[in-house]
Amino acid sequence: MTLTMFTLNAFYGLALAMNMFIIASGLNLIFGVLRVINFAHGMFYMFGAYIIFTVTKTWGAPFLVGVLASAAGLAVIALAIERLLLKNLYDKEHLMQLLFTFAIVLLMSDAAKMIWGTDQYSVGYPPGLGGAINLGFVLLPQYQLFLCVVGPLIAIAMWLLVDRTRWGRIVRAATQDREMLSALGVNVPMVYAAVFTMGSALAGIGGALAAPRVALVPGMDATIINECFIIVIIGGLGNLWGSFLGALAFGFVVQFGTVLAPNWQDVLPYLLMLAVLIVRPWGLLGRPEAGR
Amino acid sequence: MKISAIIVAAGALGAGTAFAQQPVKIGGMYPLTGGGAVYGVPAMAGHQLAIEELNAKGGILGRKIESIERDDKLNPSAASSTMKELITKDKVDIVLGGLSSAVGLAMSEVSKQEKVVYIATIPKTIQMTTDKLHKYVFRTASNTDFEGDTMSLLAGRYKLSKLCNLQLDYAYGNDLEAGIVKTLGKNAPNAKIVLTLKPKLGATDFNPFIPQVMAAGCDGVLSGLWGPHFVSWVKQAKPLGFFDKIKWISGGEIASHEIAGELKGDFPDNVISNTYELWYHAQDPSHKEFQARLAKKLNTQETPQWALLGYVGVMYAAAAMEKAKSTEADKVSAALEGLTIKTPVGPLTIDPKSHQANMGQFWGPMVKKPDRAYRMMDPVEYIQPK
Repeated sequence: MTLTMFTLNAFYGLALAMNMFIIASGLNLIFGVLRVINFAHGMFYMFGAYIIFTVTKTWGAPFLVGVLASAAGLAVIALAIERLLLKNLYDKEHLMQLLFTFAIVLLMSDAAKMIWGTDQYSVGYPPGLGGAINLGFVLLPQYQLFLCVVGPLIAIAMWLLVDRTRWGRIVRAATQDREMLSALGVNVPMVYAAVFTMGSALAGIGGALAAPRVALVPGMDATIINECFIIVIIGGLGNLWGSFLGALAFGFVVQFGTVLAPNWQDVLPYLLMLAVLIVRPWGLLGRPEAGR
Repeated sequence: MKISAIIVAAGALGAGTAFAQQPVKIGGMYPLTGGGAVYGVPAMAGHQLAIEELNAKGGILGRKIESIERDDKLNPSAASSTMKELITKDKVDIVLGGLSSAVGLAMSEVSKQEKVVYIATIPKTIQMTTDKLHKYVFRTASNTDFEGDTMSLLAGRYKLSKLCNLQLDYAYGNDLEAGIVKTLGKNAPNAKIVLTLKPKLGATDFNPFIPQVMAAGCDGVLSGLWGPHFVSWVKQAKPLGFFDKIKWISGGEIASHEIAGELKGDFPDNVISNTYELWYHAQDPSHKEFQARLAKKLNTQETPQWALLGYVGVMYAAAAMEKAKSTEADKVSAALEGLTIKTPVGPLTIDPKSHQANMGQFWGPMVKKPDRAYRMMDPVEYIQPK
């Protein structure tokens, strides 16, 4: 592998990692606080992509407005789902929650078919990000560079919010003992609703930011949800920097692995997950769940 | 004795008339949900259009046609069980459809077991009409051998020498590659494949592959990336100037208006590809009429190519039943062998040995037009197997 190829692959690995982190971070947040495995997260991602398509292509709004619209759209959908339905399932077993989120997947995929039909769509790159930057020995696509900046920004923003604010302290407390928190006078259901809304809005942002790079088709939710789960599991369920690390591992393994061993491209992410789980069954930065 | 004989006769008579009034049941299976719906839904629209037209003229053999439509889910095992149900529960006389080559092979297997005729209207894998051929399976779509032959022919015509071969790693991609390799020496003796890459079916991230193709120094790519795969490749490769120096010769119908109309200004230069149908190009007046009827049904002038395939499948089923004067599978199968019918894109004949219709495709470069937002094929060439 020449220096040019190595640089390109390393860069692409990083870009893939950041793209995946943006999508997976919301799933991770929701699991960390609500302990709900949200199967519908991939569908939220798809809706994010479709919403930015409608807002930018059909209505002609600028790209940034489209991203915000995707986030807002998913926030509204998620809030409705949480307040009307999901809130009744927190005390139920995991299987019920899984079945519930799976039902949401089916409902939303039919809804998407009714709203957008089954055509294939694409979203253009935002102006100024559709080309490549020439470093002399290698060309780097601008949009992927942009993702490499946005990913860490989102990670830092989430960290500040959860680790450095009063609201974040309440959220962290909710993950540890919600009965006690409730007894102290905190409105726990509202905390849960806010977290579910925020995590889902992140899926919307993830879909909107992925949209210029990929074809928008029904079914684009299916693979992404598996990949998000792999990242979250590798990193340690519920751990923010864990899923950041998990995304990096995923990005580099998939990029370099597919170049070096193309016949293994299907199983590479799963092999990575297996390898991590054998060494650290609770994920890279997760903690063993004692006494639960 | 006498009375019972009368009762039996009356019963038989009753059954006879009831039978005569029974509709001909045609089972149609396309992916109607998930990723394949992009193609399956318009194919089903063509299927329905054909049945509506036939019913308006009195159906098949004077009997009405009942259309039973199912989602094949783009999944071979789901398609198998759905098709079995169509045959055993709904008692269909014939099954049409399929899209993915993997689904086509699975449906062909059911047709063999259940002894019901299956006409593959979209799946292209050559195996269906060679190794896995049997009495009840027929194909009205093109196939990977013919598509590969045309692609290598174009490589020769554009005087390409260093080729990159880019195929999806499943039945269609592997068989298309075989079709190309088989004919490359004959059609393009100066061309050599220097790099073969096989992304997985459903891949959305092509960054591991794009730099390799660019580093290989190919002057042409022979590609089988269809639909969303092509779109994602374009979105990721175009910022690097990928399409500036490379001729992209592609199967997989990416010259269809569905792709060109959606990608618009993002559709890259130097693409030469195929499509079954072009709404802005008609072979003859009857083709134009078909396009107008389809446009009315779908409520758009810019109709998708896939409808033609669904339409032709039904027309073949109807013609075979009329010729056989029966809906019995064995008789219909015999009638299909060597059967020639008129279709919107000209007359087609099913080869009695391979059960393959000589369906052709429109091929040509995708060029910018001053008064259009999207690219169009120009010049258009209809290439059909002899």
